[in-house]
Amino acid sequence: MPRSQWPLRNDRPSIQITLTFAQGSGPTARDLLADTGAGNAQASFELLLEESDCLMCGGTPAQTVVLSGAYAGTHPIYLVRVRLPNLGFDHVLPVVGVPAVPAGFDGIACFRFLNRFNYGNYGDSGQFGLEL
Amino acid sequence: MTNLQQLNGDLAKKLMKEGLNNPQCAYAGKFVGIANGNVVAVADNWDELARRLHQVEPDPAKTCALEVGRDYDAVQEIWGLH
Repeated sequence: MPRSQWPLRNDRPSIQITLTFAQGSGPTARDLLADTGAGNAQASFELLLEESDCLMCGGTPAQTVVLSGAYAGTHPIYLVRVRLPNLGFDHVLPVVGVPAVPAGFDGIACFRFLNRFNYGNYGDSGQFGLEL
Repeated sequence: MTNLQQLNGDLAKKLMKEGLNNPQCAYAGKFVGIANGNVVAVADNWDELARRLHQVEPDPAKTCALEVGRDYDAVQEIWGLH
């Protein structure tokens, strides 16, 4: 099974995704906090990104969601193409657009996204990985 | 919000309500794309839906999408990062 691993970032689990902006710039990397406590398996979204990233990707509006906790309030969802090149993952996903992201990260990979994969440290406490 | 976005949103809300109240409705379990106030694409996943919707209406601002049957009103918690 293909696996990707990333070093912890600010001592927290992190993954790196690749976005494709609509206006012709090349692939753009984004480092996300891997947070199994963000949303549940039935959530209507899989990632949180800055809304400006969603718009730069030409994201299709896909309803809104009500969040509680750190992002309390109603936020838009967009359909955004997300890639994990090393895993051959390339899908359009529902992504919540938020005005600001956690310090040191470009967004959050939520439980519904992480739950697509096997995930963990795979025996290396300094890394976090996804396996497809 | 433009009139067109309002039109798209109203239809989306109607389909969302139908999907939650009647699991046997026409679009139950489907991914639906709306453009210019009409359903213009139906698919079995987001990848296919995005492709079809872009073929019909390349301007995302004139479209919206939903998964019929998904509960968009459910409040989801995002814990804080301290």
